[in-house]
Amino acid sequence: MANQPIIRFENVTKKYSDETTVLDNVSFELERGKFYTLLGPSGCGKTTILRLIAGFIEPTEGTIYFNGKNINNVPANERQVNTVFQDYALFPHLNVYENIAFGLRIKKVKKDEIDRKVKEALKFVNLAGYESREITEMSGGQRQRVAIARAIVNDPEIILLDEPLSALDLKLRSEMQYELRELQQRLGKTFIFVTHDQEEALAMSDEIFVMNDGVIQQSGTPLDIYDEPINRFVADFIGESNIVAGRMIEDYIVEFTGKRFDCADAGLQPNEKVDIVIRPEDLEISTVDTGKLNVTVDTQLFRGVHYELSTYDQDGNEWLVHSTKKAEVGAVIGLDFNPEDIHVMRLNESEEEYDARLESYGASADEE
Amino acid sequence: MERIGKLPKLYLAIVFIILYAPIFYLIFYSFNSGGGMSDFESFTWEHYAAVFEDKRLIVIVLNTIIIALLSALLSTTIGVIGALAINFMRNKKMRNAVLSLNNILIVSPDVIIGASFLILFTMIGVKLGFASVLISHIAFSIPIVVIMVLPKLSEMNPTLIDAARDLGATRKDVMTRVILPFIQPGIFAGFFLALTYSLDDFAVTFFVTGNGFSTLSVEIYSMARTGISLTINALSGIIFIVTVALVIGYYALNRKMKAPLAGVKK
Repeated sequence: MANQPIIRFENVTKKYSDETTVLDNVSFELERGKFYTLLGPSGCGKTTILRLIAGFIEPTEGTIYFNGKNINNVPANERQVNTVFQDYALFPHLNVYENIAFGLRIKKVKKDEIDRKVKEALKFVNLAGYESREITEMSGGQRQRVAIARAIVNDPEIILLDEPLSALDLKLRSEMQYELRELQQRLGKTFIFVTHDQEEALAMSDEIFVMNDGVIQQSGTPLDIYDEPINRFVADFIGESNIVAGRMIEDYIVEFTGKRFDCADAGLQPNEKVDIVIRPEDLEISTVDTGKLNVTVDTQLFRGVHYELSTYDQDGNEWLVHSTKKAEVGAVIGLDFNPEDIHVMRLNESEEEYDARLESYGASADEE
Repeated sequence: MERIGKLPKLYLAIVFIILYAPIFYLIFYSFNSGGGMSDFESFTWEHYAAVFEDKRLIVIVLNTIIIALLSALLSTTIGVIGALAINFMRNKKMRNAVLSLNNILIVSPDVIIGASFLILFTMIGVKLGFASVLISHIAFSIPIVVIMVLPKLSEMNPTLIDAARDLGATRKDVMTRVILPFIQPGIFAGFFLALTYSLDDFAVTFFVTGNGFSTLSVEIYSMARTGISLTINALSGIIFIVTVALVIGYYALNRKMKAPLAGVKK
């Protein structure tokens, strides 16, 4: 029982009446007590997954399991799940106390217990003493906390968060990121967080699901996803990346921009076409011909911690470089990088195929 | 307020004098011991005494109030249900069609509504009297209630319903704990408007009322036709005072209700 996933999606498809498929045959498992993030551009199906778990909509096909039980036909009000909405959805006709007490009152909890729990929840979100305030008197950040308190007071198994930080200003948002992460660890509950902000996802999550076009493109820890993006979309969506077309010559040797480089990838067909990703911060500026690539600096922006250089090689590929060193616009510079900085992506490789390939050549490499 | 010059103030004063002069003229002569509305002889309460002595008139006043309260109550109930149905209609065209039908009833002349009800009641054999008046009052009040409640409903964030469901609310809980409290100001406004529409309706009532049943407006009309009696003046004076009291009461109540919701529209 302990190892049973709290949520399991089995081939879930969601279509709307006009036949648009928002979720296409999605399967995944979520473990208890972790912080999950569904990340993707708007319309990718991430909020649909959230609404399916909450019970606001039903899957067109497939099954959703909660603690091993099929919950397809369980209505939203009978699920042990609570949601923090994007617009908070606090009841304007009730004050802070009554908003938080709403769920408990419906469950007909005793008055003194409601009182104890509401006060405890308010303390949890650092809003003790705000009981009798009206919602209209609260700031955006405070409303956010009331919404969180209203969810956690019911002691749900899962807390769903639908882009709850998107309405806050930058500073408050990064503060709330810490608070949410800390809150999740203190409560030990499963959090499912939906966002289109990759930085938010990388900073907060135990595991990220990157989604696009109703399909989970890749799932894994923030580090896995950042370092080993599975395809062009993920590489592009998570962080900044330089993506160029290339060709795998043999194991551990790849060709792009007309040159051959050592790399850390294997298990592909010889001469297979691939996409190459190199992160801007992995490129180092050196002098002409001492680096591995010669490029011309097109523009340079000062970004605070680093300079962002947009450069072009002789084939017209753009190379974005993050460097603490300055360069001169119009000058030709060399770019240096290590073999492990090159990330090779097979075209149209699924996540399972990728994992299998990694396992096979990883194992053989260990034997040598 | 200091910015308003003398001329606009004067204009405003004249407008109000023209509006209120006939009423005060009427009330003034209700205290005249002479029989007519021309020479004021001396002050007297006798016309007011006559109003209270006239058992028939008291019954009519009671009828009017009962009709108004009942029709306002019933039309508010039906109107709120109707507004909810219109608001949650998925089909946009259907929704607009129903809304238009509703609005047509508001603007169509009372005489036409009255006449058509008369035809309907005689056709299906409803005896003209209390029931027919009540039914027709309910009928013309419903669209008014719908119009007062709908804006409140569309002002409501639909996620609130999701949020309530999420927190364990059944459909009934959602209705009683979220939707109804939210649209309460609209419901009250609709109720009071229906009440006043029913109280002062003449045209529709005139058509559908029968022998032995009358409301104030119809009664005053027939009294005025049979000859001038200062009892009418006294009655009008009483009604005016009651109306003023009602308006003040409504505002007091409205302010109390609105206070916690003041900032919602932001």
